[in-house]
Amino acid sequence: MAPANKTFQVTIRNSGQTIACAADRTILQAAIAAGIDYPYACATGNCATCISKLEEGKVSLLPHGDAALGKAQLKSGLTLACRARPRSDVTINWLARAGR
Amino acid sequence: MSIRVDVAAQRARACKTFMAQVHATEAKEGITPSTLHALKLKLVALAKRSDLFPMADFAMPQAHGRSHPLLVEENDGHGLYLTISLPGKEAAPHDHGIWCANAAISGRERHVFYRRTDDGRMSGSAEIAQVGEVLVEPGNGMVMADHDIHSTVVVGDQPAVSLALYGYALARFPSVTWFHPEFASVRATPSRRHAA
Repeated sequence: MAPANKTFQVTIRNSGQTIACAADRTILQAAIAAGIDYPYACATGNCATCISKLEEGKVSLLPHGDAALGKAQLKSGLTLACRARPRSDVTINWLARAGR
Repeated sequence: MSIRVDVAAQRARACKTFMAQVHATEAKEGITPSTLHALKLKLVALAKRSDLFPMADFAMPQAHGRSHPLLVEENDGHGLYLTISLPGKEAAPHDHGIWCANAAISGRERHVFYRRTDDGRMSGSAEIAQVGEVLVEPGNGMVMADHDIHSTVVVGDQPAVSLALYGYALARFPSVTWFHPEFASVRATPSRRHAA
């Protein structure tokens, strides 16, 4: 487990921005704090609005529902920004836009 | 094998009987706070029959949460599910847009209830305040009206296994509204009301 005070660089391909994300924060939390309009709805791993392609790096995932991210999706490199906490520098690309 | 088939048949009959009771209550009195309470009590009674819901009949989640359909009606009918959620599985405050009831078979899930306190005029923004909570564990349950708001989290070190009754089947859910005090935001998932 990465120490809570460790910080990684997260590059969000869609917005072209690189932000800092502490190891105990999710990528979604860091993105919103940085003013990035990352798509999300439930923000707790249930709806998959924030489903994203993890292009580079490692994350650990908080608990989430099977319907939001299945084993096959995980294996194919998809992740949930709302559940993903960085464990290395990361490059990520969201796949959808949120309803408001 | 034959015992398992018998249990499955008994379970199917019990779910069908339960749903017939739900419709009878609804037809006679409509969906009101008191009838929702009555439906919750019937669901709690069904959940107490744990012999009908052996875990061997229901696959565990691949991740942390899974819903198994028990009786899903067509069109605008109701949906009855057995849900399994692992410790730590959570859901932010949300409004289903349709009534629902839960009753525990095993494990514990904390439901916290909220009311919206802003006037809803600012798009994408919302404020909510906590108004109560209930620990759903064997022997009890919870019920919510169409636009009540709740959050959930599985507590303890055991999976929370429960029965969930929704006014509409999950595949035909209305838009679900999610509230995020941390972000002072509100977001909605698209309605599935026009789904097949």
